[in-house]
Formats: sequence, C-alpha cells, structure tokens
Amino acid sequence: MDFIVQLQSFLKLIFIYMVPFVLASQGTMLGGRTGVFNVAQEGIMLLGSAVGFLISYNSGNTLLGMLAASACGAVFGLALAYFTTTLKMDQFVVGLALFFVGFGLHTLIPKLALGITSVLPRIATLSDAPVPLLSQIPFLGDILFNQNAMVYFSIILSFVLWYFMYKTSPGLEMRSVGENPMAADSLGVNVGMWRYLTAAFGGALMGLAGAYIPMVFAGTFTPNIVAGRGWISIALTFFGGWSPLNIMFGSLFFAGVDSLASIAQVSGIGIPYQFLLMLPYIATLLVMIFTFRRSRAPAFLGKNYDREKRILT
Amino acid sequence: MFVQTREKVNNRSILFRKILGKVLPYLVAVLAAFAAVGLVIGLMGFNVLKAYETILFTSFRTPNGIVQTLLKFVPLMLQALAFTIPLSTGKFNIGGEGQMIVGGIGAAAVGILFADLPGYILLPLVFLAGILAGAIWGLIPAWLLYKFNINEILSTVLLNFVSFQLIDFIASEVWKDPVAGHPTTVPIGEGGWLPLLVDNPPLHSGIILALLVAVGIYIYTNRTTSGYEMVVTGANPRASKVFGIDVRKMFMLSLVIAGALAGLAGVIEVSGYQHRLIKDFQSNFLVLGLIIGLIAKGNNLAVPFVAFFIAILEVGASAMQRTMSIPVEMAYIVEALILLFVLLSDRVKIRRR
Repeated sequence: MDFIVQLQSFLKLIFIYMVPFVLASQGTMLGGRTGVFNVAQEGIMLLGSAVGFLISYNSGNTLLGMLAASACGAVFGLALAYFTTTLKMDQFVVGLALFFVGFGLHTLIPKLALGITSVLPRIATLSDAPVPLLSQIPFLGDILFNQNAMVYFSIILSFVLWYFMYKTSPGLEMRSVGENPMAADSLGVNVGMWRYLTAAFGGALMGLAGAYIPMVFAGTFTPNIVAGRGWISIALTFFGGWSPLNIMFGSLFFAGVDSLASIAQVSGIGIPYQFLLMLPYIATLLVMIFTFRRSRAPAFLGKNYDREKRILT
Repeated sequence: MFVQTREKVNNRSILFRKILGKVLPYLVAVLAAFAAVGLVIGLMGFNVLKAYETILFTSFRTPNGIVQTLLKFVPLMLQALAFTIPLSTGKFNIGGEGQMIVGGIGAAAVGILFADLPGYILLPLVFLAGILAGAIWGLIPAWLLYKFNINEILSTVLLNFVSFQLIDFIASEVWKDPVAGHPTTVPIGEGGWLPLLVDNPPLHSGIILALLVAVGIYIYTNRTTSGYEMVVTGANPRASKVFGIDVRKMFMLSLVIAGALAGLAGVIEVSGYQHRLIKDFQSNFLVLGLIIGLIAKGNNLAVPFVAFFIAILEVGASAMQRTMSIPVEMAYIVEALILLFVLLSDRVKIRRR
C-alpha cells in the first residue's frame, strides 16, 4: 500500500515537472517549423521566471504574472524574427545575444524592483484544480486529473498544435515554410509572416515555461532557477522529432529523470546527491546519442530565407 | 618625386581609413550603449556622470584597481579564446564554464594530493593536470560531434551543468575545508602557487602566461598550416573537404584546444589567485567570454583588447554597486548592448556549415 502511494505521488510529480519542458519545447518546435531556430530558451525562461515572479508578487495574481512573462517572451521571439528574417543575421549569434540579454535582465530586474537584498519574498504556489468526476477515478484520477491548471494547459496545447499543424490548411502552409520556403513563397504563402508569428508565439511559450518554475517548485525566485531546462528542451525538441505529440510524450521521460533526481536527493540512497543531480543532463546527452541521427528536423532549420538569393544547400 | 609623396600620402590615408573603418563601428556601439544605459540610470534617479566616471576610471585610479582589472582580464581573455577558436571552424563552444571548472578541479586535485612536492615539480604538474582535464572536458563534445554528429552547442552546455555538480561534490565532500562556510577545498601545496609578479597588491604571473597564450594562438591561426586549415574549414567547409582537409577532425581539434584554454583559465584561478578550489569560482566568465568573442567578431587578435575593456567595465561596475548601489548587472546590459550594436553595424555573418 505504501509503495502504491509513493508510486502515485512520483507519477503525479512527473506531470508537474513536465510542464516547463512541454511549453519550452513546443515553443522551439513552432519557430523551428518555419526555419527560425531559437537558442535563447534558457535566457527567455530565466527572464520569464523573474518577471512572472515579480508581477504575481506585486499583483497577487499568478495569471497576470504568467501573461507578463509570456509577453516578455513574445518580445524576444519578435526580436529574433526581426534580426534573422528581416536583417538576415546569423540565427545562432542572435540567439546567443538574446540569451545574454535575458540572462542579464533576470538578476537585474529583481534587484531594481526589490533592492539589493538576498532575502526574496515568497508567492503563493499554483493550487491543484481537480477535474470533477474524473479526479475520483482510483489511482489514475489523482495523477491525471488532480493537477494544477498548467498541466492541463500544456497537454491540451500539445493536442491543439498537433491538430492545427497536421489537420488544417494553415498548418500545412506553416510547415511548408520550414521545409521549402522557395516553393511556399512561389505558391503565395507569406513566409515572413509565418516566421514572425511562430517565433513570437514560441517565445511567449518559453516565457510562460519560465514563469511556471517559481510558481510551482519553489514559491520564490532564485538566480539561475531554470537550471538548464531551457537547453534541455532544445534536445527534447530533437528527441520528439519536431512533432507536437512526440514532444509531449518525450517530455514525460525528461520530467521523469528530473523528478527522480529530486526525490532521490531527499530520500537519500547512499549515492552523493550531486551525482543524482547530474542525471538529467547525462540522460539528455545519452538520449541525443541515440536519437539525433534519426531525428528528422525541418529542412530549413536555422537558415534565413532570402527571396533574391539562390540557395545552394 | 612628387608622385612618390602623393602615393605615400595616399597609402597612409588608406591605412588610416581602414583602421578608422574598423574602429568607428566599435566607438559608435560603445557610445550608443553608454547613452542608452545612462538614460535608464538617470531616469532611476542616479547621478549619471558619477556612474560613468566610476565605471570607466576605477581601474586606473589606484594600484589595486589596476591589479583587479588584470586579474579579471586573464580568465576573460582565455574564455573568449576558448569560444573564438572553435568559432573559426564554425562551431560554437558554450562549454568554457565547465571546462574551466574541470581544469580547476584537476589543478586542485594534484595540488592537494601532492602538496609536499617542491615547486619546480608541483607547479608544472598542477598546470599539466588542469589543462589536460579541461582538454578532456572539451574532448567529450568533440568526440560526440565526430562520432554521432551531435550538436556541439547542446553537448557543451549540458556538460557545464554536470561540472557544477562535480565541483560541488569535490568541494563539499572530497577535500572539504571544514572551517569554510561556502563549499571550499583545503588549500593546495605552496609549491603549486604561481609566483607573484608584484607583492602588494598581489599580482600573480598568470598575466604573462595569458599574454603568451594569446600571441601563440595568433601565430598558430595565422602563421601555421594546421591553423590555416582550421580557419579555412570555417570559411568554407565544402571546399576544404574537396582539398583534402579532414573537416571533422578540425572541428574536434578546435574544441579540444578550446577546452585546454578554458582549463588553463581554471588552473590560473586556483594556482595563482585562490590557492584552493571554491565552488562558483568560475563567476560569470563564460557569458562575458562569449560576449567578448562575439564583439571581437571571432578575431583572435582583437580578443585581448576587447577583454581588457570588458575587465575595466566589470571592475568599475562592482565599484559602482558598492559606492552608488547601482546593480552590478547594469554593466552586463552595457556589454550586451555593445554586442548588439556591433552586430547591427555590419551584420557579421559567421558562416556555419
């Protein structure tokens, strides 16, 4: 009985840990599917965590905090789209520069808002929102239907994105931009608009992913709170083959390793906890070894489309 | 006679224009970044001129300021080179932080285990161990890239996070200093300390080493066959392949050299400055190193100059936080803006594959 209760709480934890991975990876996937490869996840998520924390602390409203964090992320996404799509600058260089900006702002903004202090206030964590009836199912009900609202949101979002991309004609248009922008352009698809739109929406999802972390895990903000989850979500996007549903399932694995590390750290199983905390990163490296070669990324990923230029590669 | 002088004048004015053309975008970028941040600081109600003065001249006002600046300059320049060398082959090394940490661990391990050895044996051993450890940490992503074609940005970043746990383990379990509050190891043997150049304020000889490395790297990339092949690989991987250069080996080599350089930065911090391994000793040198490398547009000759300028800003900014309580991160925003304006000024195109 005790074992079942523990298993239940572990599985529940996986879904809680899944959210930032799902959101950030779907954001990466969206931009990538039109060729805009964002590598600033970590910076955007850090900024999102700081902004989300401060706004919800000041307003007492977590939803407002999340919206503000998403808005910041969207601005970063738009900036990336502008520098790469309009100015045709190198995507990795711009992405890194945006990472720097997000990284710098995430410690600067709390200092400006709260003064140079080491003791930060706490905010209310997201509460569970049980689904009526479904949450009464034995065992599974508590895992799947007694979670905070963001868990439901991330799962629904994944399905909506899948439906949009594979079952509607604008979704087909969007995917064509990332595979062959010349062909898409010649058929009248607005390549630039799609790149801006997906980059902005993707950035918003990354900001939201960042805001989720202090609201659920800690209840307060600490520098570097994202702890590499932004970088991991790039690997996760490759792992999920740039498709929304596979990304959602893949994130269960990454969240599983993440929550395993945090549980084992508390319960202590003889291994120094530092090695347990290495697990998510090492697991990601191993996963990349086995999936990178087989993963099919969008053909135009990371490249800039210039109508006036012939493209040789 | 007349023609000759005119030619001379022409040559000189062309050279002047060339230098001006290179330096002017930087000047404009620096001025614009300072203006933008000055506006923000001013709106927040601080004394802008005093802030500028503090951030720019703290380094030169006292001997201590100069020494602090040089101590910052060494790891910054090495980190920047650890980024620009792979960049010259078109690869992004974001793992300088981990490579520096592991280099520091290697140095500390040898320095603690063989603490009793005399200096002329221990010091070279400490350096060898640290540089080797950094190079191995750079070899892992290089090998993953070579063997499995794994994106080096991700693998280098992920290894940073592994190294954070590694140093925590070493400094709070293996060689823990029970007196220190923060995870710290016991000191390394005195034989492993870098000799001082100036005693008061203490300046170690790592600065000479760093400058030698900078010159060496410049000679390597600009005057040797192997270095030339590396640069060519970045400029046009396809053509290089056709002409018989093993492109993938060049990627690997560049990442290993980068690891060794970042490792050296770790050794110098341990052997020259701290004399022990302290968790978080790597500070924010990685991000600053990346910024320096990108501002220098991957030019190894420009890196030391940019690194020195950034070191001045960093020292000035911490003085600014102490005396005026303007957050130290403001310097970081200045640096990021300089980078952005430099990038915008000519839209550098660093070729990738």
